[in-house]
Amino acid sequence: MTSAATPTYPLRALNVSKSFLVGRIRTQVLTDLSLDVEAGRLTLIAGPSGCGKSTLLAILSGLLRVEAGAVQALGKDLAELSRHELERFRLSHTGFIFQEFGLFPALTALEQVELPLHYLGMSRASARVRAEQSLEEVGMATRSRLRPSELSGGEKQRVAIARAIAKEPALLFADEPTSALDAANGALVIDLLHRIARSHGTTVLCVSHDPRVISHADRVFQMEDGRILESHPRPPTPILKGHTA
Amino acid sequence: MTSLALKTLIYEWRRFLPAVLAVGFACLLQLLQIAFVLGIFSSASVYITGSTAQLWIGYPGTQSVNVGRPVHEELRSRLAMDPQVQRVEPFLWLDADWRSARGGASVIVSGIDERPNGLMFAHVLPAELRAQLTVPDTVIVDRADLSKLGVNVGEWATINGERVRIIGVTQGLRALGGVNVVASLQTARHLDAGGSTSIGPTYFVAQLRGPDNAEAVARRLCCQASFGPYEVWTAKAFARRSELYWLLDTGAGAGVMFLAVIVFAAGAAISSQALMAAVGGSLREYATLNALGVGIASLRWVVLEQALWVGAAGLLGAAALGGALLLLARSQDVPVVLDIWVTLLCMGVALGVAVVSGLAAVQSLRRADPATLLR
Repeated sequence: MTSAATPTYPLRALNVSKSFLVGRIRTQVLTDLSLDVEAGRLTLIAGPSGCGKSTLLAILSGLLRVEAGAVQALGKDLAELSRHELERFRLSHTGFIFQEFGLFPALTALEQVELPLHYLGMSRASARVRAEQSLEEVGMATRSRLRPSELSGGEKQRVAIARAIAKEPALLFADEPTSALDAANGALVIDLLHRIARSHGTTVLCVSHDPRVISHADRVFQMEDGRILESHPRPPTPILKGHTA
Repeated sequence: MTSLALKTLIYEWRRFLPAVLAVGFACLLQLLQIAFVLGIFSSASVYITGSTAQLWIGYPGTQSVNVGRPVHEELRSRLAMDPQVQRVEPFLWLDADWRSARGGASVIVSGIDERPNGLMFAHVLPAELRAQLTVPDTVIVDRADLSKLGVNVGEWATINGERVRIIGVTQGLRALGGVNVVASLQTARHLDAGGSTSIGPTYFVAQLRGPDNAEAVARRLCCQASFGPYEVWTAKAFARRSELYWLLDTGAGAGVMFLAVIVFAAGAAISSQALMAAVGGSLREYATLNALGVGIASLRWVVLEQALWVGAAGLLGAAALGGALLLLARSQDVPVVLDIWVTLLCMGVALGVAVVSGLAAVQSLRRADPATLLR
């Protein structure tokens, strides 16, 4: 489903198909799927469990290769990039937020955020400044010296967000970012993602079945059985409730 | 840059402890094994290393100091005539039978020049003790051998049926395959039941005016048929020859190598399992970093760096414990030899075990697929 309102899109899926072989049975996960994601917006992919939304996120972010069709990210065809080039592309342009945070137990919040910046080639001093700014932005400046074991779930996710945005990526991918959080922290995280899209112009693509995310999203793609069923700028709540997993 | 490897190692030290212990013990076992084996076999050359002679003259083809055969007495004048030779001494070597009130043993009698400036055993015999050997039928033994011989200082025993008295003990005389008993040349000849010393001594030893050119003098003095069969070696070469003879001829060298391979393999197996478990425990975090664009090559380096730190920690532990054990061994008169090569070899073993384990653990990173984080 393409929106014709914006001529160029930072992220596009064109007739994408993907299947997985489980044992001797091949399961089709995505079927001839197309979508365009707009810049500077919080876009949500919603749908029931097993509908293929996480696979779609993995393909759009360059973590998985397509079988058929193409993915264009920031004007590049991801299928044409080698594994090393894809890693480089992700390092320079994409941020990730996962359901289970992925923080190293040994590092403080500040070090977690600094780590990818070092691999980006930033100097120690610049990385420190940038990491502090990111932590400040997610409201974790005062907790920056603490390790994950000393942080709550919501705080850990905010550190993970700071780590993802510190690189100032053009694309930010989030997979069920609120699933492991209570209501208050979930709301805080959604608000952060929305603000990041608005204030940084970041293209935020989120996979979730959390109704709170749906109500904050600028655009929602509703998925089922590996296809996009419909897309709305603001979806009517009753329909969405029927599709939560 | 934040050292993820080191910080994780310190924070999660319990997880890495088995790997550190495996590397440490592999290193320690190797260190002690080699130090003890070299220590034991260095006692094969105690006659040479405990003396100040620079040249040894013995029967041609002698492989080790303990398998010498007599040389002609006339050789002494040939050696003494050389302008570079300052002093020549005969050295008698006898296999003998020791009997005392509390037991018997097979002993090696060393007949030496007992004068104060004598060359033989100059490093292990204090001048005062050496002088006491002028009393006929007196002997000196290593203090650690007293119990084996069943005597105390001042008591009497018999060697080859002849009565001798222990007039003192010293340190650093322990022998391989027997007990060293030091006597004067006169006493040794008296104890020679087989009469092998009637031809001449087992060796002549010589001190040179300029010790630096020992090899040149050895070549010059060597092998003139008119003085009977003989060969000349520098002390260093003869000591090495004796030690190698024991190491290779007894199969101990092969034993050392065999055990080294076993220790290395066991150390690497245990250590790699622990490192793989540690990597497995952080797989999700590594996958997250990879999703963020940190390349697999960089993540491999983190694991390898971790393995090297494990190696360094193991090495440190092995050095501390090994040093303490070697000191304890020395204090108990157990012969140990630790030189720079042995130390470097053990460091190599520790780092080798660590690197092999690290390379094995790196394979676990294959499972750090960021796509698996999305579900």
